[in-house]
Amino acid sequence: MRKVTEDVGAPRSVFLHWPLGHPMGEPGNIEQQTTVLLSALRALVEITVPGTIVDLPFRWRRYEDLSNGFDI
Amino acid sequence: MSRIKNKLLARIITRFPGLVDVEKMAGRIEPITVGESVGVEGVPWTPVTKPLSESKVALVTTSGVHLKSQKPYDMVDPDGDPTYRAMPGDTTLDDYMITHDYYDHTDAERDINVVLPVTRLAELVEEGVLGSVAPVNYSCMGHITGEHVETLMRDAAPEIARSLVAEGVDVVILTPG
Repeated sequence: MRKVTEDVGAPRSVFLHWPLGHPMGEPGNIEQQTTVLLSALRALVEITVPGTIVDLPFRWRRYEDLSNGFDI
Repeated sequence: MSRIKNKLLARIITRFPGLVDVEKMAGRIEPITVGESVGVEGVPWTPVTKPLSESKVALVTTSGVHLKSQKPYDMVDPDGDPTYRAMPGDTTLDDYMITHDYYDHTDAERDINVVLPVTRLAELVEEGVLGSVAPVNYSCMGHITGEHVETLMRDAAPEIARSLVAEGVDVVILTPG
């Protein structure tokens, strides 16, 4: 899925290795959603090279750990 | 029948994204084109010229969100629906719904902020981190293939961009489905 983000050519991106349909995180998890949003806003200010993708270090823990084999 | 199959595959692939490659090789997920991209040249760049605390922020999502009062996205056309929906920024959470068969939006229906963080954005404005929320947010549905890709790039996307400029938006956050 990261390749899709690369192909889009957005000026600034943050990427999460999380399941489809959960760009901001889990339902009702205000702290997590806010963290992702603030990370995106930080990337907006800090990225200076067009097309940069920041890989956020947050792991998905809600159900099975999807970190293995998630890079497709 | 096709819609049921797409929804089922979307649920499975949401939980086990690694299956996309396996299923693709087996030719079983023709309708789901995860990983297929349209070639675009160059990366647009607009410098940030004002502090976030003075910026007006809009959301644009490809997650198929729309108002219950708006026409749902076309899920019958296998190439998707290249139209878009303009959603007022002050929409009540209960007035949103999602029409998109190509990813599992069960969680997003429980809390629209999972794909469209309107509440989180409003909180950051309240805290003074951001200047204001935009009067309108925009949505598309992310499964677009065939000739609809050109329609989306020629019509919908520039219209959304022009509207955002006209509405005085400084920052746009894009969220996928």
